[in-house]
Amino acid sequence: MLEIRNIHKTFGGNQVLKGVNIKVEKGDVVVILGPSGSGKTTLLRCINFLERADEGSLDFDEIHTELKNASRRTVNKIRKKTAFVFQNYNLFQNKTALQNVMEGLTVARKVPREEAEVIAKEALDKVGLADRYGYYPSQLSGGQQQRVGIARAVAVRPEVILFDEPTSALDPELIGEVLCVMKELAREGVTMVVVTHEMSFAHDVANRVVFMEGGVVVEEGTPRQIFQSPREERTSQFLHRVNRDYDYSI
Amino acid sequence: MELNIKFMGETLVKILTGIPTTLEITFFTLLTAGPLAFLFAVARAENRKVAGRLIAGYVSFIRGTPVILQILFLYSLLPSLLNHLIRNVLQLDYNIFNWNPVIYAYVVFIINNLAVLTEVFRSALQTVNQGQLEAGLAVGMTKRQTYLRIIIPQAMVAAMPNLCNSTIGLLKSTSLAYMMGVKEITSIARTAAAYGYDYIEAYLDVFFVYLVLCTVVQLIFKGIEKRISVYKQRLAG
Repeated sequence: MLEIRNIHKTFGGNQVLKGVNIKVEKGDVVVILGPSGSGKTTLLRCINFLERADEGSLDFDEIHTELKNASRRTVNKIRKKTAFVFQNYNLFQNKTALQNVMEGLTVARKVPREEAEVIAKEALDKVGLADRYGYYPSQLSGGQQQRVGIARAVAVRPEVILFDEPTSALDPELIGEVLCVMKELAREGVTMVVVTHEMSFAHDVANRVVFMEGGVVVEEGTPRQIFQSPREERTSQFLHRVNRDYDYSI
Repeated sequence: MELNIKFMGETLVKILTGIPTTLEITFFTLLTAGPLAFLFAVARAENRKVAGRLIAGYVSFIRGTPVILQILFLYSLLPSLLNHLIRNVLQLDYNIFNWNPVIYAYVVFIINNLAVLTEVFRSALQTVNQGQLEAGLAVGMTKRQTYLRIIIPQAMVAAMPNLCNSTIGLLKSTSLAYMMGVKEITSIARTAAAYGYDYIEAYLDVFFVYLVLCTVVQLIFKGIEKRISVYKQRLAG
């Protein structure tokens, strides 16, 4: 469904992506793991053109384009097929939860208002915010804001939702509620690409795990392969170190 | 020394007739310079190379010169220039010097406030985090739609205190229009005072009138700010 080939991106003199390939099939939950600065977020942002890659091509259903010189129309088409959940939620501060979810429907997709409201309420109900329609982002907790962010992504019925460290800005108590919602989406067959540091999520929910470092994909496979028998030394090192953080024995 | 109270009262009434002119200049200037300044600010925020630089140059040129100098310069230069253009280039028999001097006041104040307001809006736009623009693009909205529906409404709220400041500054600086022969508050007071050298009384009147006007402006802005910043109030809606 979605395939990216040989993507390169440089910021200033810093080469962040050095030829990454990634393929996502319908219904996939792909989790991208890796240390900070490995290019995970940049990869995600290049898929929906929040960042312009320097090189590489993208196939999305019937669309084929070079990433570097995709036309404005192509970019808009791809953005309408995808949705993005941000690390810092990035909710529209001047809109209520309901309006946040409706914007993408009424403004971008010209869905009639009444219809959009029904869809938006459904999406908010799904993430457990049925009693928060009229609340502004400043009146919601971080976890609730992120769930609005997810509802906003779900409501536009995208073919794939891109999650950029959706729980990294949350305190541990609130992470659970967001992960629960994501798990539920995965169960319903929503296609997702998730950049995260939540190992348990990767382990339990993903059907494919990609380990990145230094702008390249070091290894990819099923969670079982990656977590139990990684082929690369670097992968096992990383997992070992990260897992130790969750294990309180010294 | 004693204050001529009777004169003060009479002059105050006369001065009041100058208020419409003062307000007209203020609001016409704001309405003209405001929207254009917003476009300028967006061009700068968007890092448009050529336009951004031109605007930055314009802003620093205007801010770097005293208003009074701009008035003197423009008021002596522009009429003669236009006159030359009409008589010699276009060969028309038309007397430019019959124009109401208030036109020149508009020109000076618009040029000036365009620069001031560009900076007001630019700083206001910077207070809205870039993430919301990205979020707008990510849900499939165009940049234009995101600006109109998300960024600008929030920037307006952030701009209010500074906008109030510059409006008051503008209101007060319209007193300089007396130099261009415009009959506004200050010029009326000076004319009245010139008869009997009652300058102190006339100026006290002027003080009072500006104080009242500026207070009203502040109250209006406070009201607007409260109205458009509903989303910031923490109370559950």
